[in-house]
Amino acid sequence: MDKRTTQLHSYHESQNAKFIDFGDWSMPFSYEGTLKEHDVVRNSSGFFDVSHMGRLEIDYSELDKISSLICSDLINIPMNKALYSIFTNENGNALDDVIFWKFEDKIILIPNASNASKIKSHLVDHKVDFIDKSLETVLIAVQGPRTIELINDRFEIPEKFSTAKSDNFMYARTGYTGEDGIEIMASNAEAESLISFLIEKGIKPCGLGSRDTLRLEASLPLYGFELTEDITPVEASLSWTITNEHDFLGSDRIKTQLQDGNHKILKKFTIDSRKIARTETIGMSSDIKGVVTSGNFSPILNKSIGFILFENKPPQNLIEFDIRGNLIEGNIVNKRFLS
Amino acid sequence: MSDIKYLETHEWYLINEEVITVGISDFAQNELGDIVYVTLPEVGQNFEKGAPVVEVEATKTVAEAYAPMDCTITEVNSQLETEPETINNDPCGDGWMFKAKVNAIDDSGMSYQEYETFVS
Repeated sequence: MDKRTTQLHSYHESQNAKFIDFGDWSMPFSYEGTLKEHDVVRNSSGFFDVSHMGRLEIDYSELDKISSLICSDLINIPMNKALYSIFTNENGNALDDVIFWKFEDKIILIPNASNASKIKSHLVDHKVDFIDKSLETVLIAVQGPRTIELINDRFEIPEKFSTAKSDNFMYARTGYTGEDGIEIMASNAEAESLISFLIEKGIKPCGLGSRDTLRLEASLPLYGFELTEDITPVEASLSWTITNEHDFLGSDRIKTQLQDGNHKILKKFTIDSRKIARTETIGMSSDIKGVVTSGNFSPILNKSIGFILFENKPPQNLIEFDIRGNLIEGNIVNKRFLS
Repeated sequence: MSDIKYLETHEWYLINEEVITVGISDFAQNELGDIVYVTLPEVGQNFEKGAPVVEVEATKTVAEAYAPMDCTITEVNSQLETEPETINNDPCGDGWMFKAKVNAIDDSGMSYQEYETFVS
């Protein structure tokens, strides 16, 4: 089956992007190299075409219904704010991790590309009305410490984790790299002129390769790796997202886990080497077994980092990894990778 | 000295009398993307043709470079331990991986033109 491509595919081709299959999509993996693009976002500004993600418009009449499906308090966060949350199933496990943008007149819900169909069916099942804007819009993430100064002549910049709107764009000061920046939703008709504007400002195109190394370094989970339908937000060390005080799907199990603490647990680790403990690598903390969910090289820390899911609370910080037959030591870190 | 030859597994080798120099091709480094770590063999280690000699960690994936023929390691490119990106920058020059004494000559690799056709 042919892979889906975004509205900006011909632009990516013109920049000699290397493509990678990501679910149903063929997306740019890199243009000039993952480490170069990583560096651009850490030190300057880069943009990512993330139009493969979903964009659903939801009316405020649906607020209570949608609130009963997520673990965070969407009702009480102020207007014009963005919210990271998790859709849970009846067992409290993660169906998707998503972003909501609250505007005066509507809510925008951004599910992951790989989960967009699932979330749409889930909303239909729970009688939540929505309008799917995915096919008529693009989504561009502009990220990096210089982003704001480079684009503030065209965009009125909201506070961090807040949303804003102009004639042509809806956007929020959010991202997935640990850097400042905004994520912009634009109509297909505006897509090319938006990209031209970003390029004129010296903002470089970046691919999913650096998006992955950046999000990992920023200690952010990726659905399909850290989050699956077999893990709750508590187990994924995302208890901070559980702010919904009302009952929601699976909230009984989540409350039990919060109280008794007896559950599997996702941890971050570093290895003082460039040897990478990749997905599915086994790591032992004493006699508690863990499985790496994501692992890669951190350009900033100059060592290997990753997430590991332990069967229960690990008794010690020292982890012994079996990397293709070699025993390699690593350590659990409880702070973020980047300070 | 003969010309550089290439294997289907994307190594190159250069035979100089009884010694081969081995690395990975430009195509291979380009496919792997940024290389961040290599595990080199030790001098004196013996390898049979086709055995994995070097482990190459890239941000995208991990790959192995195989022995082009039966050989004994005589020298490794220790620059790669601190600057593995040399392989990306100059795969067939400064990015060479190891030199080895040939124990059973097998000069059956592809020429540059044949390899270009193979990968295109």
